[in-house]
Formats: sequence, C-alpha cells, structure tokens
Amino acid sequence: MSGILIHLPSAHRTEPATTRRLGPGETARFGRGTKAHPVELLLPDPAVSRLAGEILVAQDHWQLTNYSTTHSYLVENPEGAGEYLRVPPRRAGAPIPFEFARVVLPTRGSTVSFQVFAPDHVYLDADDFGGRGTRTLNAYSLDETATYFLVLVALCEPRLRDESAVSVPTTPQVVERISTHPALTRLTARAVNAHIDYLAEQKLRVRGPQDVGAAGSGARRTGKREAVVGVALRFGLVREEHLALLPSRTPGAPSPEPARPGGHR
Amino acid sequence: MSGAVEEYDGTLDGETGEPDHGGTGGTGRSGGDGPGRTAGRIPRGFRVGRWEVTEPIADGGWGRVYEGRDTTADAPDAADAVDAPDTANNANAADNADTTDPAGAGEGTAEAGRRVALKFLPTSGLAPRQAERLAETARREIEFGSRAHHPRLMTLLDSVVLEDCDVPGLDGAVVLVMERAESSLQDLLDAADGSPLPEAERLLTEICEGLAHLHGLGWVHGDLKPANVLVMADGSVRLSDFGLTAELEGTRGTHGFIPPLGSPDYLPPERWRAPLDERGVQVRPTADVWALGVMIHQVFSGGASPFPGATFTARASAVQEYAEGRAPLRLDVVVPEFWRALAADCLLPAHTERAAHTAESLLDRVRTLQDAGSAARPRNRRRVVVLAATGTVLALLGAGGAWWQWAGPGASPGAAEIRLTVYNADDKCRARSDRHPMCSLGLAIKPTEPYVLDNVVQTRVWHGDVLTVECDLERGVPIADEAGARSSRWYRVRLPEAEKSAKTVRTTAWLPDVRTRSKPAVPACGG
Repeated sequence: MSGILIHLPSAHRTEPATTRRLGPGETARFGRGTKAHPVELLLPDPAVSRLAGEILVAQDHWQLTNYSTTHSYLVENPEGAGEYLRVPPRRAGAPIPFEFARVVLPTRGSTVSFQVFAPDHVYLDADDFGGRGTRTLNAYSLDETATYFLVLVALCEPRLRDESAVSVPTTPQVVERISTHPALTRLTARAVNAHIDYLAEQKLRVRGPQDVGAAGSGARRTGKREAVVGVALRFGLVREEHLALLPSRTPGAPSPEPARPGGHR
Repeated sequence: MSGAVEEYDGTLDGETGEPDHGGTGGTGRSGGDGPGRTAGRIPRGFRVGRWEVTEPIADGGWGRVYEGRDTTADAPDAADAVDAPDTANNANAADNADTTDPAGAGEGTAEAGRRVALKFLPTSGLAPRQAERLAETARREIEFGSRAHHPRLMTLLDSVVLEDCDVPGLDGAVVLVMERAESSLQDLLDAADGSPLPEAERLLTEICEGLAHLHGLGWVHGDLKPANVLVMADGSVRLSDFGLTAELEGTRGTHGFIPPLGSPDYLPPERWRAPLDERGVQVRPTADVWALGVMIHQVFSGGASPFPGATFTARASAVQEYAEGRAPLRLDVVVPEFWRALAADCLLPAHTERAAHTAESLLDRVRTLQDAGSAARPRNRRRVVVLAATGTVLALLGAGGAWWQWAGPGASPGAAEIRLTVYNADDKCRARSDRHPMCSLGLAIKPTEPYVLDNVVQTRVWHGDVLTVECDLERGVPIADEAGARSSRWYRVRLPEAEKSAKTVRTTAWLPDVRTRSKPAVPACGG
C-alpha cells in the first residue's frame, strides 16, 4: 500500500504539471483556494469554488468529497468504455473504484480536470482458484485488462515467443504492434512511454539500470524497459497465455526487429 | 482476525487450515477438492520412494499435502520401532532425518509406522514459467531443509522426484517428505474464537527459539505466519514452509532475495514499496521479526491483527499510516504488558530500528522473564514487569506523533534511550523512501575535524531513519546544509550495526545537527 498519485495539469503552458503522492489516510483539498482557506491542489479557474472538494486515500482506493452545493463532479475512467461516476453536490467520501481516474469539474466553456492514479489495487493470482486461507500473494499484481498490461505483453512478446532471448521492442514497435487493437487505435508513443514509466515506477517498482547514474533519458528508458520485461517474465507476471490478449499479427508483416542498443524510442 | 472479520474478508483470508502454496507440512485438517486442479487425485497406497500415501490432508493453490506412512515400518525390524521409532524408521534417511530431535522421539507408534506429510508439487500441465516457480519453491525448501536441523524447525525427511508414474499430471512432480504435524497455529487461532490461546507464552517462546536458530544460521524465513507454524502431536512448535526462505548475502549478510510473494497481514511496511529486480525483493531478518510481532498480538488476542481493518487492504494501509507516523500503534490491552512491549519492539516502523531487536535478543528477553518467573519469583519478576510496563505506557502516550522518541526497553532495559530522526534538506530525497545512494547522508568519525571523505564512517543513513543518540557536542566543525541552515552542534549516535575493521570496532558515529529536526534533550558529551 503506497497511496495514490495526483497529476495536476499546469495553469500555464510554461509551467510543468505537478504530481503529488498521498499516503494511506492522507487527504488533499482542491479548489480555487484563498489565503484564509488554502488548498493543497490549486485549480485557478474562476468557475471553481474556493473549496471545491477533498480527496481521501482509503485502503487501496480513494474517496471524493464534493463540497459544492450546486455542481456535480464527474469521475471518468479514461481506460473504460465510457465508464464514469457522477458525484452529486455535498456527497461525502464517495469511493472511487478506478485505478485511473480523471476528475472533471464543470466550468464555463472548457472543463477543469485532474488525474488520480491508484496503483495499489490488488488482483488475485491467476493460479488462485478462489480458495480461502491466509494466502501468499504476489505483491506486484497487475490489471490484465489495463492498457499498461497490453503494453507489457507486447514488450515481453519476443522473449515469450523465443524470437530472441534479449530483444525488447522499441516504443514505435509497441505502438505498431498493439494499435490494431480495437480499443487502442489512437495510442501514441507518448502514451506508451507513460505506461512503461507507470509500470516501472508504480506497479513493479523495478530496481534497474535507470537507478544508477544520470544517463541520457533514451538510454535510461531502454534500461527501464529491459528491467520491466526481465521482472515480469522472471516472476511469471506475464505468461504465454497472455499473448492471446494481443491483436493477431497482420499476415505477412515482418516480426519486430530487435531493439538496437542506445535507446530508440 | 476475529471470526466476523474473516467472514467479510473471504477473498483472501478465512479458512486457514489449508496451506497456501501447498505449504505447511501437514496440518490436521482435511481439505476438500480444489477446483481446477491440473493433477489428478493421488490414490491411497500410491508409492513415493519408501513412503505410501494414506489420506489427503490439505489442498493448496500450489500443491497438495497427503498423509503418508513409512512402508519400511512393516518390515521385520518394525519390532524395534516400538522402543525407538524415530531412529529405526529413519535408517535409510539418516542424512535427512533429525535423529537427535528430542521432540520427535515420542511420536509415532509401531502400528502407524512413521506418519509423515507428503507435499506434492506437480509441475506438468503448467506453463514453463509457472513450473519454474514451483521448482524454485521446491529448491528453496530442499536447500534449507537439508542444512537446517533443529527441534523447532520442521524436518525435511526426504525429497523425491516422480518419474514414469501412472497418475496423470504427476510426472516430474517433486514430493517433499516432512514430519506429520497435528495442526497449525492458525488452526488454534481459528478455534480460539477471540480468546487468548492456552499456553500462549510457551508457543511464542518456541517460535522465538526456532526463529533465533534460523536467523543464527544466516537465513530469513520470508513467510512467517500462523499457518506456517505447526504444532506437533506432543504440542511442540515447529516452523515450517521454507518455500520463501533465503540465505543472507551481501557483504555483511544483511539481506537475501525472494520472489515477490508474501502474506499481506505479515508483511513489514517497507515491503509494500520495496523495489523489485530479477533476483526478487530484498528480505531482511527484520521482516520475520515484524511477522513475529503480529503473531505475538494474535496469540493473546485470539487471532486479531494489531492493525485495524476488515480486509487485508485496510490492515495494510493501517500499517502504512502507522509506519509514516500518522497513526499510533494500538496494541490490545489483553496482551500482557511484557509481551505488548516485545510486540511493540518487533513492530517498530523502520527496519533499521527493528534491527536492534534480533530474534536472539528477543529470545533472551523471553527467557529472562521465564527465569524470573520460576526462580526468584517475587522480586525479579516484578522488576522486569515494571520496566516493560514503563516502556509500554511511554509508547502509548508518545504515540500521538512522537513515537520515535520512545525510550523503550531495548538491549539495556535500565537506560532510557533517546532517539532522533534523520532529516534530509533535499525535498526530492525526502519524498523517496528507496534508500537511493544519491540520497544517503554521512556520519563523521570525529566532529572536531574537517568533514571530508576520510572522516566518514561506512554506514550511511537516510531521511526518516531513527537513531539512538547518546550525547551532543556544542562546538564541532560548523556544517551547513543544502538549504543554508548552519550549526556546529553534533550528536553522537549509535550505529545500527557495529562496523568492524582489523583494528577497531566502531559502534558510534557523529551526526551533524543540520541533519535532524528532532531536538533531542541529551547530555553533553564528556571527554
């Protein structure tokens, strides 16, 4: 249990987006904020209340309190097929079940939104047949329906198919491999990189080459990619049967070339 | 866990006689059919080496456990077995069998032959990588089992690899032959129905004995929990299930590596954020000590975890809240004061703090209590209990936020220990808890000499580490931190582990005042 991550987009294009981690039991309020009532997550839009709402980390998920007396907030699952929750005015502590969520506040014209990731969601082992007992669990469980899992399977595919003992596909190769999936036709290289980062840092917490020294970011990501694949295969997080999740290869298409060293993305 | 909690939590906790991943030698409970098995049922009379399957004991996600008996017990020399069943029946397995085991000597009768538990770890029908995982479990069990012999550790009598057998799905299966246990500590807790276990102190003492021996050999159990603590027919305790047991490595034998598996209710706080690589996750003896702390609480509270919550995710997040200092440790008052203090030491939030309480030192404290209880009853006992009680009261009072300042009954129960928390002025380093080398901080050998590379001890410390501080020095070399704060005060702190070199043994070092926000009230260092 490591808490949740909140990504707040920057107010101006020049400022970087801010990321905040909240541990279990911690809270963060969001809104326009005032000197008298400061908030942890600042949303500087005149249509947003001074104190619009609050996030509380509870167990492996989080709860949303809507302090507005007039507006409902939407919590969307960006990976779901249009899944969303409506949190009505004055609702206290609505539990949010999504691992990835976008909180959308109504404003005039454009919307104000921020993202919340809950990487602690626990999944039972594949070979756990619902038996009861003080289970010995895999502490690094993954959502096999998530896009990040598909990215991971695509990364592991060459090794699982014994095409190459060492090769790990590059990001463009991953995009090409899985963008024929009906739900992922608009997948970008940037998104794939974000998924790899999420896997490496939040889900598997790999201790790999990216931890040592300050190498260039390209080389770093190659190291990260290899570390993620190594760990996923070593501990059976991705197995042969998961290859079925990938879209079938277009007939006649060449199999992906092995990644060249030096960090292509 | 109380009964009601178990029910609610059905997905992961609940009926616990069933060993996880084919686990525990043999518990007394008979398991039902596991759904979706790849291997077929193993028929009565099935032969494994010189052992014969008699009845199923339990069925886990990872394998199945059957009761077996030694067929050589039927041979003419069985008559000898009446007097010395242990040695007579193990003539062939002298290498593996623990023939010096006093607890085992009274077990078994000639009629039953030698009853054993047969743990089947089938590998066929599994994808290669799952088979590898099982093979690794078997390898760890065998590696440890063939080296460790102790009355408090479950003895591995034999291991057999099945070949050419006619039961489908059993080809290539590894069978571990172990002593037959009557029940597990988990069974006792389930039956206790919320009341303390009878003989709780003896059970815990024996667990400590097993753990101290295991750690003394340089291993970590890795999956210590009541389901893996077995109770033999004579009531004695054996630690079991060494499928996640790792030998300590590293230059000073501080840690080992195990696959990223664990039982959520017994994992120390650092495991939830432990980094992973192809060797697995790091596991230290302090992880077993944490699990021991949870079990101490459970044994006296009839199975309730020291951490509140109806589900293991709730309890795990309560562990994090406690470890991050946002919630106090609230141990049930039904736990006797001495054991409450012991559990509180086992459950110190940082593994560096727990390191001071080795299984050996915990066992010493338990034995001191018992000696005091049996020998000089009126006086000594009271002294020990009063000291322990003081520690507990302080712990509970200080728990509101300053838990690290608790002067607990440590190695030297008489002296109150003052602690400080290390502070890193770099906020990026404060945000991470992975003990990255870039975020480590140094300790000086001499505070009166320039703070340069050859004036620094080997041990590094990180933000949030809690150190025991002995005294302070007002006028050392002034040090400024990254944020510009400046101070010439230094604290003499105890090293978590003594540093031994050819000439010297170093147990203390100096921390600059700018590296802590605690303001420990300590005496000035003399000399």
